[in-house]
Amino acid sequence: MSGRAMDATSIEGDWTVEWQPVIDAIGRDFADGEVTWGGDPVEPGAIRRYLEPLEFDCELHTDPEAARRAGFGDVTMPYTGVIAWTIPAAWRPGEVLFDSDDRDAQPVHTAINNADMPLGPRTTGFFGTDIEVDFHREVIAGERIGRRGRRLLSCTPKETGVGRGAFMTWESEIISDRGDVVGLIRIGTYAYVPHQKGEQGE
Amino acid sequence: MSDARTIGRPFDEIVVGEQLPTVRLPLTVYRLVMAAGSNRDFNSIHHNSEYARSTGAKEMYANTSFLMSSWERLVRDWAGPHARIRAIRGFRMRSFNYVGETMSVLGEVIDVRREGVEGVVEVEVRCETSAGVTVGPGVVELGFPLDEQEQG
Repeated sequence: MSGRAMDATSIEGDWTVEWQPVIDAIGRDFADGEVTWGGDPVEPGAIRRYLEPLEFDCELHTDPEAARRAGFGDVTMPYTGVIAWTIPAAWRPGEVLFDSDDRDAQPVHTAINNADMPLGPRTTGFFGTDIEVDFHREVIAGERIGRRGRRLLSCTPKETGVGRGAFMTWESEIISDRGDVVGLIRIGTYAYVPHQKGEQGE
Repeated sequence: MSDARTIGRPFDEIVVGEQLPTVRLPLTVYRLVMAAGSNRDFNSIHHNSEYARSTGAKEMYANTSFLMSSWERLVRDWAGPHARIRAIRGFRMRSFNYVGETMSVLGEVIDVRREGVEGVVEVEVRCETSAGVTVGPGVVELGFPLDEQEQG
């Protein structure tokens, strides 16, 4: 029976022991060096939509001529787009994505949770906690980027105000389909089992 | 539009202690839904109040990409298009940035130095709501091109 089949809330006593297999896996590349490519190449329309909710006005991202004057072949992706443009496609032809009409039903699969974690307790709550990024160069419209590797750097079980779970840090290289590494990203996450109503965390 | 956005802030005018113009972003449902749609973080905690409450939060709250890109907007508004971002460090989410709040993004220059052909500026950045500091403080490291004279 894998640790994943267990429910964190069913364990009495030291609930953190369920996270020991994850702690033991610190240093492991859970992607085995494979590349997870973003769903689409960087393109001007998606850049515009990225800028809109930020009211972010920079001609490098909107004006190809201005971008060329600055030495780039086309408009550039906002640097922080390394997250958005490395998220894989949500759906592929032939797949079923939605299988329930419950109001808050979640898609059958999504890259934005902890569902593909093969070790540790099953968790239903998940959010990002911290990020560090080194940018080696700008990404230009037309490039497709992805994340190579998914190395676990740390795992710290902790009960918080929202539930019981663990803080984890993951590292990946950001690579371009032009063949080079354009950045390095370390993402901290908190995966947890939410408190039941009436329960109080720290 | 300020000069900095089209011309760029001169590196030799930047001093430690300089405060960047604050960016204020009202966090409406509309904005957060636009953000989720554009940055592809469709985790329901960022656009569905009922779902967010079921995960222990008080309300839906802004997603990571949106928050980090607010740091990019802050430094880009100030530095202009000739600067490049070398790194972001210490981007730590301390508490949720809930819908219905106005989030302020604030920055201060904490280091200015020359490294070869590039001027390097470190800006300490944080987000605040009525709950206090919600993200950071962390550092955005910027690179500015230097002409031969500036390179010494």
